[in-house]
Formats: sequence, structure tokens, C-alpha cells
Amino acid sequence: MFFKNIWTQKLATFLLVAGLAAGYSSCQLDDIPDPNNPSLNVIESNASLGEIQNLVDGIQAWMRDRLGTYLDGVGVIGREYYRFSGSDPRFTSDLLGKGNAVLDDNTFYTTRPFQSRYRVVKNCNILMTAIENTSAPISAAEKSAALGYAKTIMAHELLMVLNQQYKNGIRVDVADPDNLGPFLSLEESLSAIASLLDEAATDLQAGGDRFPFSLTSGFAGYDTPATFLKFNRALAARVDLYRQDWSGALDALNGSFFDLGGDFYDGVYYIFSTAGGDQLNEMWYPLNSTGELRVAHPSYVTDIEAGDDRISKVTMRNDEAFQDGLSSQWDVTVYQSNTDPMPIIRNEELILIFAEASAQTGKTDDAVMAINTIRNAHGLADYSGGTSAEELIDEILKQRRFSLFGEGHRWIDMRRYGRLNELPIDRPDDDVWEQFPRPAGEN
Amino acid sequence: MRLWCTKPVLLLAAMLLSISAMAQFTATGKVTDSEGNPLIGVTVAVKGTAVGAFTDFDGKFEIDVPTDEATLEFTYIGYAPVEVQVSKDNPNVEVVMANEATQLDEVVVTGLATSVKRSNLANSVAQIDARQLTGVTTQQTMDGALYGKFAGANIIKNSGAPGGGISIRLRGITSLTANSQPLFIIDGVYLDNSAIKAGFDFVSKSQAGGSQSVQDDPSNRIADIDPEDIETIEILKGASAAAIYGSRAGAGVVIITTKRGKAGKTTVNVAQTFSMNALLNPRGMRQWDSDKVAASWGPDEVPIYEAAVAAGKIYNYEKELYDNRLLGYQTRLSVSGGDDKTRFFTGLTYKNDPGIVLNTGYQKTSFRLNLDRQLWDFMDLKVSSNYIKSSADRGYFNNDNSGTTIGISFISTPPWAELHPDENGNYPDNPYSGGNPLQTAALVTNNESVDRIITGGTLTTHLIKQDNQSMRLILRGGMDLYSLKNSAIFPRELQFQKNGNGTDGAVIITTAQNRIANIDAFLVHSFYTGSGVHFRTQLGYTAQNFDQNVIRSTASFLVGTQTNLDQASSIFVEEDRYIQRDRGFFVQEEVNLHDQVILTLGLRGDKSTNNGDPNQLFFYPKGSIAVNVHEFDFWNSSQLSSLKLRLAYGQSGNFPVFGAKYTPLVPVVIGGSTGSLIGATRGKSDIGPERQTEIEAGMDIGLMSNKVLLDVTVYQKTIDDLVLNVQVPASSGFTSKWENVGSLQNRGLEIGLTTSPVQRDNFSWDSRTTFWLNRALVTELRVPAYNTGAFGATLGTYRIEEGKSPTQLVGITDDPNDDDGIAVFGDAEPDFQMGFWNTLNYNNWELSFLFHWKKGGDNINLTTLLTDIFGTSPDYDDKTLDPTGQLTNGEYRLAALGVTAAPWIEDAGYLRLREVGLFYRIPRAKLNDVCSLKVGVSGRNVLNFFKYNSYDPEVSNFGSNAISNNVEVTPYPSAKSYFFTIRASF
Repeated sequence: MFFKNIWTQKLATFLLVAGLAAGYSSCQLDDIPDPNNPSLNVIESNASLGEIQNLVDGIQAWMRDRLGTYLDGVGVIGREYYRFSGSDPRFTSDLLGKGNAVLDDNTFYTTRPFQSRYRVVKNCNILMTAIENTSAPISAAEKSAALGYAKTIMAHELLMVLNQQYKNGIRVDVADPDNLGPFLSLEESLSAIASLLDEAATDLQAGGDRFPFSLTSGFAGYDTPATFLKFNRALAARVDLYRQDWSGALDALNGSFFDLGGDFYDGVYYIFSTAGGDQLNEMWYPLNSTGELRVAHPSYVTDIEAGDDRISKVTMRNDEAFQDGLSSQWDVTVYQSNTDPMPIIRNEELILIFAEASAQTGKTDDAVMAINTIRNAHGLADYSGGTSAEELIDEILKQRRFSLFGEGHRWIDMRRYGRLNELPIDRPDDDVWEQFPRPAGEN
Repeated sequence: MRLWCTKPVLLLAAMLLSISAMAQFTATGKVTDSEGNPLIGVTVAVKGTAVGAFTDFDGKFEIDVPTDEATLEFTYIGYAPVEVQVSKDNPNVEVVMANEATQLDEVVVTGLATSVKRSNLANSVAQIDARQLTGVTTQQTMDGALYGKFAGANIIKNSGAPGGGISIRLRGITSLTANSQPLFIIDGVYLDNSAIKAGFDFVSKSQAGGSQSVQDDPSNRIADIDPEDIETIEILKGASAAAIYGSRAGAGVVIITTKRGKAGKTTVNVAQTFSMNALLNPRGMRQWDSDKVAASWGPDEVPIYEAAVAAGKIYNYEKELYDNRLLGYQTRLSVSGGDDKTRFFTGLTYKNDPGIVLNTGYQKTSFRLNLDRQLWDFMDLKVSSNYIKSSADRGYFNNDNSGTTIGISFISTPPWAELHPDENGNYPDNPYSGGNPLQTAALVTNNESVDRIITGGTLTTHLIKQDNQSMRLILRGGMDLYSLKNSAIFPRELQFQKNGNGTDGAVIITTAQNRIANIDAFLVHSFYTGSGVHFRTQLGYTAQNFDQNVIRSTASFLVGTQTNLDQASSIFVEEDRYIQRDRGFFVQEEVNLHDQVILTLGLRGDKSTNNGDPNQLFFYPKGSIAVNVHEFDFWNSSQLSSLKLRLAYGQSGNFPVFGAKYTPLVPVVIGGSTGSLIGATRGKSDIGPERQTEIEAGMDIGLMSNKVLLDVTVYQKTIDDLVLNVQVPASSGFTSKWENVGSLQNRGLEIGLTTSPVQRDNFSWDSRTTFWLNRALVTELRVPAYNTGAFGATLGTYRIEEGKSPTQLVGITDDPNDDDGIAVFGDAEPDFQMGFWNTLNYNNWELSFLFHWKKGGDNINLTTLLTDIFGTSPDYDDKTLDPTGQLTNGEYRLAALGVTAAPWIEDAGYLRLREVGLFYRIPRAKLNDVCSLKVGVSGRNVLNFFKYNSYDPEVSNFGSNAISNNVEVTPYPSAKSYFFTIRASF
């Protein structure tokens, strides 16, 4: 017999256990690096030039994410157009304050654009860290240019967040996810964004003649540190306008691509394509769409002056669109295809900023000249109204409404002047919101 | 061989020798059934020892008895065990075994390598046999066959789409993010149960709105298993029973044992079933008139409506789209048999099950070959292999943000719309929606096809066979290999693809290669003291490798009518690789004191590459005690025939989801360049598994010679170190991060009552009633409460909050007393569930039926919301909701939009006649001994009672998510099924 008695058998069992345990412990598992994606710590600690380019492409790609949701949010509340949807009723209830409906702090129209913009900010922060730490062959000037690029984009994204958050204020210092900075007030937020743009301008000025990466065709003409600086200053002019720093706005315009005689559509753009995985221009729907569509607020057509060629931004539908007690005969046709580029900022806005800042600083002639530049170009006669600052501002807001239709300005402009109560109410219990709620989980 | 680490085990095995025992005398005899037929392969054992033998081809056996006197135990599946005294003077016995074992004598597989007699079990382990599984009616899928048949499960069908898609929760929710579906093991092979999405979000934009979760309604791969092949299913519901399975057993274990051949005459079974499906709950349509049309669609619509009425062109699109009653069938052939050394079982099933929506349906071919061979006296080999080919056309349903799914475009279209094709087959555009649902149903393909091989082998070596002890070495390997192809094809002539709508057609091809391989080694040692005490020691080593590679190609802007991927202007490819390596060991000691007290202690250790540290071992202990009070000498009750008290404790784990330890940069594309963007979820490099601790106590009572059996079980299951995808301030750039940050508790009660109210020669009635309930609670949450799942608080959402149920449904409220504006409107957890299973036999007639009652449990019903918005709700004009009686139901619910989420959170309870079957048996004798026949009709979900305001309260827009099932957005509607079956046994 192999085992004489229970004791030898127990001994054998013990040996077996020990043997198995020993065999087992000798069996080490190799850690598996992420088989699907590059990991953050590798990129931050030592990125190659190619990986830096990847980060920049990531930034530019994601700047476009949820633009449709953002523009629908500000466009619908600003009564520029209705967003009818077969699948989501909240475009016509929450956004328009139907009945007792209010904006929710945890619903896509509040959270998604917020998340997307801060995700780009994060990518900008990663780019800056990667630029600082890389051992790739790039010069000090190129590093400076790259920082200027990252900060400019970051400032733009933060401004987009602030446009919706308004008096809630925003966080600007978000580099360390474990130690986020405080929420700043509206004024502090605006001045922090302005400072960031100024820092970026300094970096760009020290940035030599090239970025250590390439930009998309949306930046054509503004893709060197010196020309990108003009884009930076254009954004600075917008920020100065928002914080009523009129002379600052005029100064900034001087450094920008502002050109009274220039093409209104000169500027910097988001680009779209049908390439695999790329994004399409979400603001485009085909004519006479059913199900998902954008139709102009009827007042766009009733308020526009006869002969104004900006009527082409809307097109009459075959059938009136009707949903939730709202109706319109006019499709929004700001874009002609789903790959049309969408402006980040363009010359027409700069001319209107010039007009507004001039009017506010008493430079009436400049203001009228700029207004007429806009009016004439759109097939209208010279401005014939009064020239008090208030009257000029009325006219400028009107021109902004039609010139920048569907580009996310109307609501912000009316809010800047405390005129949200002048926006049309379509159903008796509708509301015009002043701002979006701070997203849930943000405190 | 570092990968598998089998070397030490093999070395140990080689050290040991097979030894045979010395005998006092040899007992011989013959075993027959009650009709005198020899029973082949009956296990004969000398009680209290490890000595055993099998009966041969003639039912005869020989066994060496080590003592002068002994008791022989005869056990055989499907027969009541028999004990017979033998002695040196009286060594020859004739044994007759009676059919129909009582439930207590069942043998229950509980361990990786061992089984336990139910009467000695310390846990409530559910067991479902072939008769319950497929005996009443024909089943579409294996998991769908489990409804209502055992206590402790919450089973939810995700939609009515053919081909499955079911989530099973055992004893409540066991994880909020990691796997919450049980582990499925078939004949020792670990099964993959992935649900691989079709990727038609590209067209539906379902993830572009309020939710970024997958809403493609894929089926889960357990649906491939053919229910007809299954002999028994054992369900280990929690850690106290499943601890030995370690870190994959956190959500329970479902052990499937397939049919195997028996020695004896070759048996041939043939069955042919014809089936028909019908819409389970037709809702009808709103009764329109001109005023209602003007209110819902605007005054311009009235003349269009009136013209349609005048022309008699008011269509019932629900019936046209959702109630296609087509003939289906299932053909089944199985052949089994063998001799005393070799046994085989083959099964072949072909099934064609057309769906109620046109161009949908499910086809499956399954072939199984199970072989058992005794290689030598001391070594057995068991091989199981299964090839499955399945194809499911699942339709295009669920939520979208493009107005294109069949569900959304149907509900947004009024009945006066003309959607029918002209004589050339051209469909008109639907002016009311993004798509024409008739065209979409006719032209869109959403096909999921699978080729799968599941194969495994077990080699058992009897190292020691002695009077008082035995030792077996069991080596097992298994492999689950499949390739899945999902083709989602949207031709460019679709309304939502042409003329600049959509992308001029889209073809989305998803291919998945999946491989799970497992190698296990077990050493089982039994020792009998001779005084009625039995020790059983087990050691085991297990290793599993998981590899899955999913490649999804999305082609758009198609060339003409082509559907080949390269006939497109734009192609986008994604790949997801999933790699996991798990290693574990266990030790377990069982002590059986005279069948009076059964003690078990065990320990499992596990490590996995999914953990932050792949080499950190996590330990899971278990311990249990069962006391058979009736086995004690003092027991003397004529009424109470058996009484068992049991208590079990155990821990098990749940690995974090793959990838939780990485913070990736994900690819994004702009202008043809691919960039890197920070992932939305921040990884945790030191993430660890969730740990479940379960305590279960119960008692089993047998009355009237065990004709009435009552089992009562209570449990408490806590899950610590919950892995959560915690919401973080989005201003950090992340929207969430992985953390081990909470604890969850499930408490529940399970009661089963098995009775045989009537047992006469020509009439018998067997009945089993089960009752169960579960209550879950988030006991600790180290992050602020947060909403998750569904579409935000306006429309109802889940909320994870300390001290509350993890499945509570909350939403915005207009209650001025509510501080935070969020109120609880329901809970997805049912109040309780009951199953009522009965079989009645009268002469040759057999009637079986199963009622399943789910009391309570709420859904978020957004189909109602959408039908209200389009004015198409069938109950729009009823006035049953508004307490003031002013508003119609539609108006009342719409007035609540943005104010309160209450109207969309609905009671989803139901009472169903899940299964019913009436069969007539024609005995062999009446058919000249050629064969026996069984003919009958049966049905599934034939009767349904519920108040829920849609097609079926069982639904999930989000598939088998850990939580956030129970959300409805225009799903594929459910069907009821009728069958006619004829079975012949040769």
C-alpha cells in the first residue's frame, strides 16, 4: 500500500498543498499594457513630435464636438430658431421654458457641451505638459509657440463654457484633476480668459516663425505664430466686448485680422468632412427635413428689412413644420452642406465689434461707417437712424442678429444689454432663460 | 510552460500510483427497473467506503466488499437510490430500482470537481432539469427558458427581437459597473456571454443625445446554447455557494450539464415542432377626429386627414409592422447509447423562428457530440463538443436621435399617412418622420451571425482506490471559440439616407473573434473512518485566458446599391482588444458526520491582469454547516419526515472591468488625420476587485414521507470595494473615473414548496411554488450621490445614493416641499416574484403550466412620452390620470414634461402564463414496439396580465447594463408563441 495509514496520507496531502502552492506562486502574470490606446503618463513624460501632433489634432477635432448641442442651446433660447426633434421633446420644452419646465443641471443640453469644452481644455493642458517634458528636437521658440497655441485654444473653449454658465462663473485653473481651482465670478472669469489670451499673445510673439506641428485648413492664413496671433487678438476683442472694455476691444482689433474692407467670411473655422470617423457640420439639415430639423423663428422673417440678402439664411419649406404648439415655414439654411466649415470667429463679427466699441466710446462716425459697411454689403441702404449711443447699439444688435444668425450670438448679445425680456415669447408660459444651470457634479 | 503553469500539477500526478484494494468477499447481483429491464451503468458503492463499481450491459455487477457485512448503495439518475444489506454468507442480491427520485435525492453539482447530494447541501442551490427546461414548451434560448423556474433570479428580456438578449440577476444587483451577469459554465467550459453592439449608432445617433450608452439591443452570446442539449442546470446564487469559483462568481454561477449517453440500447429521439409568434399586447391606435388632428398636427393637417378618411385610407400600421404571423419550425434529432466502456450522445437541432416584424427572425443549427470512455480501470475521459451556427435578424429599433428607427418613425406617424410602396416597389417619403417604417423594415438589415465551437475534455485518474479512501486527479481543459459578424446595412434609397439625409447609405460590419480557454486541475481525496465519518479534501488550480477582438468598419457614401465595404467613399475602422488572464487556486475540506452534520471549509485565491497589480492574490474563504436533524437517533416524528438546518458563509469577487486601470488617449479624426484625445474616463492604476460576502441560512422540511417539501432561505449579501465609474467634475476634462468606493447590500427571502397532491395510478399532480424577494441598499458611498443611466432627471433616471436602493428611479419633481427638486418615483426592483409550476398526468395525457408573477418593479417608459408628443398614444384621449378630471391622459402627461418625471415611471409588474403544454403519449406497446410518440400543443407567454402602458413591461433600451435596465424607448415589441410538437422515441 502506498500510504500506510492516515498519518502518512495526511503528510502526503500536506506535501501536495505545499507543492501546488509553490508551483502556483512561481506562476507570475505579466502586466498587460493598454492594448487599445496610448496611455497618458507616457505622452506626458516623453512625447515624440508625432505624438505632439496627435494631441493638436485631438484638440482641433474635439473643439467641434457638441457644437450642435451648444448652438441649439443658445440659438433656441435666443429665439433664433426652433429645434424640432422626433426623439427628444426637451428642445421645445426645457429650452423654451414651456409651462413649468426648467433647464436641468444633468441633461445633455447642459452637460455635454460643458464636458466637451473642458475635455479640449484638458488636452491643451496635456499638450503644454508634453511640450515642457519632451526630449524631442524642438527649439525654445517652437515650445513658446506651442504654449501660445494651447493657451489661445483653451481661452476660446473656456469662453464657450462661460457663455452658457454666465453668472455661475467657471473654473479656469483645471490642470490638476485632483485639485481643481475655484469657481470664479463672471467678471473674474472674463478677466482670467483675457489674461490667458494675453499670456498666449506673449508666447506667440516669442514663438519664432513656425509651430512644431501643423494646423488644419480651418486655420489657413493663421497657421504661423505671427498670424495665429491675429486670431488670438480677434478672440481678445470678443472677450473685451463681453466685459465692456471698449477701448481694450479696439486695441485688440488692431492686432487682429479685422478689415473693414475685407471679406466678411475671412477668419478661422471649424472644418468638417465625410472622411471615416470625422465629424459633420451638425448645424446642417437638408431642406424640408422631417423628424429632426431646425426652423427659423418666424420673427426672423417678419423682422428682416426688405431687400436684406441675409434672408437667404432661411429657406421656405414645402410644408410648415409643426411641433409642440410651435410652427414655422422656414428652414435654417446658414450652411449649404454637412461639410461646410463653421466659423470660430470671422471678419463680419470683428467689424460689428468695431462698430459697437466705437459707439460705446463716442466714435460715432466710426460706428456709423462700420454699420453701413455691413448694411451696404447685405443690400441695404445706409443707416438713417439716430446717432446716440443707445440708438446705434439698437442698430448694431439688429445687424448682429442677422449677420451672425445661427452662430450663437443673439442670446448673448441681448443678455449683455439686459434685453432678454425683448425676445419673443411664443406660448403663454414660456420663459427666456438667462443662463444654464451649473452641471450636476460640478460642486 | 509559464502560460498555464500546469507543470507542478502534472509532476504531482506522476508521483502517485494507482492501487487496488484487498477484499473480504465479492458481492454480485443484478439491477433492474420495475419492469424487469436491466439497468446499465448504475453506480454501486459499499456504504462508508470508497469502494464502487458499475453495472454492466446486463445490469450485473461485482463488487469487492472489504468487511464481512456491508450496505450496498445503488444510485442512478432518474431513479430513487436503494440500499441493500450484503454479507459473506449472503453475497448475491437482486435489486429493483423505482423511477422518479424525490427531489432530496438529486445530486447537485456545486464544486468545480465534485457534487453533493441535495440532502447534504448547506446552500439553496436551484436545479432545473430537462423536463422543466424544455419539457413544457419549446424555448427560443437557454436563458429565456429559466424564467420563473427557480427562486432568487430577476430575469429581464431586453426586447422582443429574435435571438435573445436577456439579463439575469441572481439575488439582486451585485455590481454597479462590473459584470452583473452570472458566470456560465457548460461541462466545465467557461462561456463567453458578451453582447457585442452592432454599431448602428452611426445612423441612429442614439448616443448623441441624452445618453452615451449603447442602445443597439445586441443579443448576448449565452443565447447560442441549445436548450435541448441540457440535462440539468444548477444555479449557485451567491458567494456562500459559489466561493470556490472565486473572482468570476460575484454575480453567481450557472452550471450547465449536457445530456450524455447511457450504456444500453441505442436511443433515437426525433422531434418536430411548428411555431407561430404573435404580437403579445396589441395597443391599437388613438381614435382620431378633425379636432384632435388640428390640436396635435396643426390646422393644415386637417384636410389631409379628412381626405384620407374619405378615401378609406386609415391604416393600422401596428398590425402591418408588428404582427406578422409566420410559420416557424424546429427539428431535433438525438441519438445516444453505448456500452459499459464507451458512451455517446449526439444532438442536432435546426431552428427557424421568424419574428413578428417583417424580415426579422432567428435561425440556429446546433450539433453536439458528447463522448465518455473508460480508458483503463483507473482512468476515464469525457469529451463534450458543440458546434453552433446562429443567425439573428433583429430589426432596427430602440432610441435614436435621427427619427429613423422603426420604433421611433412608427410612433411619430399618424394612421392617415400613406407609407405603402407604389406598384414598382418605391416607398414614398414619410412626411411625419425621418423614416418610412415600412421601407425601413423592408430594406434595413441588422443581422448577427455566429459560428461557435465549444469543446472541453475531462480526464479523471483514480490515483487511490482503497477500502477507506480514494483519490482522484481531474484534469480539465475547455475552449469557447466563436466568430461573430454583425451586418448593419442601410441602403442609400432609404428616406433617411438619400438626398442629403444621412450619408447616402451606410454599411456597418462588426466582426468579433472571441476565445476563452481554461485549464483546471483538481485533486480530490475521500477518506472514510469506518465509523460513518467521511472526509473529502480538494485542491484545485484554475487558469483562464480571455481574448476578444472586435473590429468595426463603418462605410458610408455608398456606391450605387453596393453593400461591400470597399464600395464606399468613406470608411472608418475601430478595433477593441480585450485581454484578460486569471489564475486561481482553491482548497476545500468537507466533513460528513454520519449524514447528520456536514461541515465544509474552503479558501480560494485569485489574481487577474484586470487588477491594478496583476500578481496580487485576493483570498476568498467559505464555510458552511448542514444539520440533518432527522438523521439523529432521537428523531422520532412520523409527520416530519425530514428536517435540515443549514448555514453558509462565503466570499467571492468581481474583477474590475477590463481597462479600468488605464487612462487612455483615444483616437479622434479631423480632416483625415487621427489625433489623440484624453479619454472621458480616468483610470485607476491600483484598482482592485469587488468583494462579496454572503451569509445564507435556511431550513428544509419534508412532510409525509417527503411528499411535501418546504425550503426556506434567507440571505444577506454585501458587496464591498464596489468599482464605480464615479462622476467627477467635468471641468477636470474627465467625466468620470474608476474607483473602489462603495458598498452594497442585498437581503432576501426565498421559499419553495414542492408537493405531490395526487399520486394515483392513472392520475398524478406535481406542483412547485416558489416565492422570492430581494431588497438592495447602497450602504456606503464615498462620493457624492449621482444620477446615472437613462436620459437625465427630466425623464427619470437612476440615482446612486447612500442609504437608498441602487435601483431607485428618480426624477425632477414639482413638489414644493422637496429641497433638491429630485424625488423618488419608483424602483426597478420587484416587490416580490412567484413561480407556480404544475404537471398533471391523466392516463396518457400530460398538462404542464408555469405561471410567473412579478409584483411591482418600475420602468421608465419613454415610448409613452414620445407617442404623447406626436399625439399617437392609444390612451391619449382617456381621462384616467388627471385627478381633477380636466385633462386627457396625453395632455396630462405632456403638461408634466419638464416639471415632474412622475408620468413616465410606471409599474412594470406582470402575471404571465409563461409556459403551458398539453401532450398525449402513445406508448411503445401500442405502436408495435417500434417507438413511442408524444404529440401536443404548447405556448409561451400565452396569457399576460399587466397595466403597463406599452407592449411589454419587460424591456431594456440599454441591454444588460449592470444597472439601468428597465428603460423603454420604442423597442422591438414582444411576442407570444404557439407550438405544435410531435416527438418519437425509437
